[in-house]
This record gives sequence, structure tokens and C-alpha cells, in this order.
Amino acid sequence: MNKATPIVLLVVVLIAAGSSFVWFLNVPGGGVSYQQGSYNSTEVIVLYANEQGWNYNSSNPNPTLNEKLHTLLEFKVIEQDGLPHTLTIAAGPNETTNSNDWIVNVVIPTTVGSITWVNWSFANPGLYTYWCTVHPYTMVGKLYVNGTSNSTSSSPNASTVQVPSTSFLNAGIQHQGSGTYEMADNNEQVW
Amino acid sequence: MGFSFELMVFGSTIAALIVMVFLLYYFTVDYRRNLLGESASSLSKEESNLLLSKMRREISFSAFFMDDSKSIGVRYLITSIALFFIGGLAGVGMRISLWFPNPSFLTPIQYNILLTAHGNIMLYGFAIGTILGFGYYLLPSANKVEKDTLGVVKSIMYWLFVIGAVFIIFSKSTATWYFYYPLVDQLTEAGGGTYSFATLIGVTLILLATTVSSVIFLKMVFLDRSKSIPLSKISMFSWSIVSAAVLVITSAPVSMIANGFLIYDLINPVFFQASNGAVLGYAIMFWFWGHPLVYIAILPAFGLIYEMLPKYAGVPIFSYRAGVFSLLLLMIFSAMVWGHHLFNSGLGTIWDLLFSTTSFLVVIPSAMSVFNWIATLWTAKNIKLTVPMLFVLNGIVDFVIGGIVGVYSADVGLNAFIHGTYAITSHFHWIFIGLTAGIGFGAIYILFPTLTGGRTYNVPLAKVHFYLNSLGTILMSGFWLVGGFAGMPRRVAGYFGIFQTYQDVAAIGGVILGIGFLIFLINFAYSAYLPAKVDVTNPLEDEVQAI
Repeated sequence: MNKATPIVLLVVVLIAAGSSFVWFLNVPGGGVSYQQGSYNSTEVIVLYANEQGWNYNSSNPNPTLNEKLHTLLEFKVIEQDGLPHTLTIAAGPNETTNSNDWIVNVVIPTTVGSITWVNWSFANPGLYTYWCTVHPYTMVGKLYVNGTSNSTSSSPNASTVQVPSTSFLNAGIQHQGSGTYEMADNNEQVW
Repeated sequence: MGFSFELMVFGSTIAALIVMVFLLYYFTVDYRRNLLGESASSLSKEESNLLLSKMRREISFSAFFMDDSKSIGVRYLITSIALFFIGGLAGVGMRISLWFPNPSFLTPIQYNILLTAHGNIMLYGFAIGTILGFGYYLLPSANKVEKDTLGVVKSIMYWLFVIGAVFIIFSKSTATWYFYYPLVDQLTEAGGGTYSFATLIGVTLILLATTVSSVIFLKMVFLDRSKSIPLSKISMFSWSIVSAAVLVITSAPVSMIANGFLIYDLINPVFFQASNGAVLGYAIMFWFWGHPLVYIAILPAFGLIYEMLPKYAGVPIFSYRAGVFSLLLLMIFSAMVWGHHLFNSGLGTIWDLLFSTTSFLVVIPSAMSVFNWIATLWTAKNIKLTVPMLFVLNGIVDFVIGGIVGVYSADVGLNAFIHGTYAITSHFHWIFIGLTAGIGFGAIYILFPTLTGGRTYNVPLAKVHFYLNSLGTILMSGFWLVGGFAGMPRRVAGYFGIFQTYQDVAAIGGVILGIGFLIFLINFAYSAYLPAKVDVTNPLEDEVQAI
């Protein structure tokens, strides 16, 4: 065997594996491209994961949310019907099937009564859509992130509560791309 | 970034230049003369090919310019090892991304691309590639062939295999390796992948190469075999290749036809449309090939175990006839069990029970082989625990564990629960890493002096490779198994936080596996770089003492 052969084989295999890996990852949208913005206040938004709507027992089952920039939005998602749901947020007035455009996409556990915290601070003002990818026709609402005005909520049931930014919720594991994701029935049980 | 025009022009220019250099090389250098001496010029091509296929040949790039069986085998071995590392890096990438419940560095689409590439490359590129490689490499000497013809056909089929693998890599399909119809029809990033049809073409090319090569294997064993070897005395490896080749010839054409329908459906949907009630039709046609494929991937490994075990146990195999019977019974039974992949797809209770029963029946030939190996070890006087033998023993253990999980999964009721979980992933990774990959690399270690022209591998490094391989399999597949029975879903880019322990340990196992195979590669290059020390004989092909 020529002395160069094994070295060439080693180099070819390593280059082939590495360049293929880079090629596989090179898709539109690339890796996780959505960064959170900075925030100086925190708001809790209560949503119910039910196939009839995010706020199913009110006259307006899918409230339009008005929030302000530089606020950490803490979505408290309570499972109601035991069906699989997701909380998915993308920019624009409508849902999109292109998962590269999903800013937030968190699967809600099917245990009835379980609470999933989804934290996200939007970097840019504008119109966003939040929906459930399993029930895109009944569980879809709009979210305005306003650069200047104070936050108001059009729905009485989607309660918006001011809590200090040093809340225990901020201690959760930060995952780049999808916000803080905790699943807890009470304050003690944090996975 | 998709296929931009500039990239296409650039890529095809580079490819054309490479082909021109290859052609120039081919017509100026005569490797036959280098290997056979001056007498080569007086021989016809068939005669020189026959001489070449009986030599003890080393891994060399000259194999790409000759078309005797051994050269084709060397080509397949080089290609399949390169594809193994491409697919393996995709697997390690998925493991690392699954460290956190929410994907940490892969978006769902990137995860699906890696998942599809890993499955397709490992099955079609590595598993089938090594089988074709060892088949072409070992069959001529095992059967002392009297003819070595069809060189051009073998060479064309090899290049179709390579083009198929390149298509699979370039397509970035997200349709997973079984291309279920409504998904693969959606040519979008979030659907089956914009260029998923290229994967279909690539897989079909590889299937064509495999089918034609299988016919050539049967010809080598039954027509070209030396008259001095009666059918009752041919090697166990030849029998295993015969079983696998018959499975390929009977089932692969069905998948090629289905892929042809599917490619037509992408242009003009008529075959598998829901309105025609035939959406399940593709799945049925696919799994008619898809299940025999996994047996095609392990049967030659069985044959290699039957060949390697006696060399290190010091006694002949306990029962040759029982071994042949088990291989042929596996061939027959494994063609009848494909429906167990569709237990939850609505084939009907009667069909489910039929396929469940046949799946349980596969235990009989598998256990016959395992007990045959145990009996061989039991009667052995002096077992030498060299590196290939360690891989063989580890492969037997992994096959037993993975096989038992497979028996669980064959139960229709339990299957409804664990079908979509990591228990199934665990089941086939026990077998594929332990048996297909493990025995493949063990066979490369036993052939090492021949493949490298008289070098010996570094034993401590090889043992590190073995122990990392074994430990990684146990950690990864073992924790997948436990997590799978707890309900951990497979084929997803993220998971619920309660499964993080299983996923993290599996990620550690996957990284350990990757490091182990990297050590193999470094050991191979390092040992082959050192000067030659030993004869170019090996225990599989020659009557020499195994070390």
C-alpha cells in the first residue's frame, strides 16, 4: 500500500463527512435565527389550551393581545381538554406552515390542568399571530407588540398581571430560540 | 440556499474536470501490468481479471481503474466507510441537539434533514455498501471462481451506487427513509423537502445496483464456483450472501416500481392519491422491500460470524447444516413479516395477526444461529479474545438484546403503544450497531493485513475502539429502550422535559460511538502509514493461523 493512500483516505472521509454535515444544515432560515429582545418588565398572559379556543369559555375565544415592547411575556398555558396542543407564534397577520418562521413553538403536555410557562420577549414591534398547529382553525389569535403605548388587553379573561421582573420564573433554563420552557403543576415541581 | 445557478455551473465544471483527470489517468497508467507483470499484455481481459480476483488485494485507488471482482469490492468498501462517517456525523448532530428538551442548535427542518440523511445513508450507503463490498471481495476466493466476467456491468453498477448516494446527500429530503405518500408529495421545506424526488431517484439507482450485483453474486456462487467445491461444502458466508441476494432479487424490484409510481405521482398524481383509496399502497409496496432490507443488512453479518467465530475458537462451527438451514429459513420467513411495520395503519385484524405470527416465527431461525454460535464457543478448547473476536461476541450479545426487543414489538397490542417511541429505534440500533457495523469493522480488522498490504493494526487503539463502541451502544440503545417504554416519542426535534435523562445519556452514548469510530479511522491511517511487517494473508481467505 502506498504511504499516501491511508492519509488521503483519512482526509477524504473527514472532508466528506464535515462538508456533508454543513450542507445538511444549510437550509433557508438556517439555525435558530430568532433572538429575544431586552426587557425591563414582565407580564403574565393566561391562555387555556382547549380545541374550542385559547379562551374557550368567553364570548371572544381568541383574544387579540396588545403588548408593549421591552416586556417579557410569560404565557401561562393551562391544559384544559387533554388533547395535544402547541403554542406557536410567528410574525404576520396569518399562520404559516413554514416552521422556519416560527418564533415560538412549544408543545403543551396533554395532562389536564398542567401549566406550561412559555416566556418570550419580542425584539421588534409589529403584528404577530399565535396559534396551535394541531387546531389552526379554532385556536388562532393576533398579538400586537406596540413600540410606544402602554399595554392593554381587549379581553377581560386574558388577564394581564404585572409581576416583578425578578420573579422565580426567570430562573428557568434559558433555551436559545424558544424562550424559557417550564412545565410545572405548582411552584415546587420544576422539571 | 438551494441549488443556485452559479453553484450548478461551478459544481458541474469541477465534476467535469475531475472526470477528465480520471480518464487521462485511466488511459495512461496500466495497473494490470503493475500487478501481474509483463505477461499481462498477452492475456485477455477476462483472463487477467480472473488472476486479479484471486490475488490478495490491498486498498488502493487503482481499484477505481480496474473491474475485476476484488477491485469492485475495494471500491464498495472505501465508499461505504466514507458514507458511514457522513451518516454517523448526522446521527451525532441529532443526539447533541436533543440534549435539551427544546432543540438547542437544530431547527425542526434541519433535524428532519439529518434524520432522513442518517437513515438513508446508513441503510442504502453503509449497510448495503459493505455487503456488496465484502461479497465482491470475499466470494471469488471463498468459491475459487473459474471465471470472472461482467466486469463492465459491475463497474457501471458501482458508479450508479455512487451517484445514488450523492443524490441522497444533495437532495436534503425531510421525508424520512420510507417516503410515506402524502408527505413526500409536498415539495416544500416544511413538507417532504424541496428536492426529495432526488432522494427517490438516488434510492432507486442504489436498488438497481444492488439487484444486479445480487444476480452476479448468485452467478459467482452457483455457476462460476470451482468444481472442487461441492454445494454441500461452500462457505457459510457464501450461503448468507445467497440468502441476502435472493431476498434482494425478490423484493427490491417492488420498491423500484413503487418509486417509479411515486416519481410519476409528483408530476401527475394518479397512483397513490387518497381519492383512489391507495394512499396505503405505497407504504405496502415500500415495506415489502423495507423489511427484507433489514435482513439483507444482517444476513451477511451472520455469515461473517459463522466464518470468524471458528478461527478464534479453534474448532469448526458446531453444526454447518443447522447454520445453513437457519440462514435459508431466515430468508423465507423474513420475506413474510413486512406487515408488522403497518400494524397501526389499518391493514385489518386478520392481517395483523398473520404478520404478528410470522414475526414471532422469525425467532426460530435466529435462535438456531445464536445457539449454534454458543455451542461452538462451548466446545472450544482455547478462545482467543482478539479484537475481531471481541466484535463477534459483542455482536452476538447485541443481537440477542435487540432481537428480544423485536419480539416484544411483534405483539400487536404492545406495538400500538411502543410503535412511535424510541423503543423501536433502540431495537434496530442494537442490531445495526452491534451486528451490521460491529461485524463489518471486525471483518476489516481480520482482513487488515491484506487490505493494507502487510500492516498490522495497533491493538490498544483497536481495543479502545471496541470498548467505546460497546459502551456507546449500551448507553444509547439501553436508555432509548427504557425511555421508549416510558413513552418517549421518536423522530421529533424536541421532547418533554421528563425524558431529558434518557435523551442526555443517549447523547453521551452517541458521542462515545462517534469518538470510537474516529479512533478506528485514525488507527487505520496510522497503522497503514507504518512500514509493512507481515504477510498479506488473512484467516478468512487463507489457511493461516488467526492472531
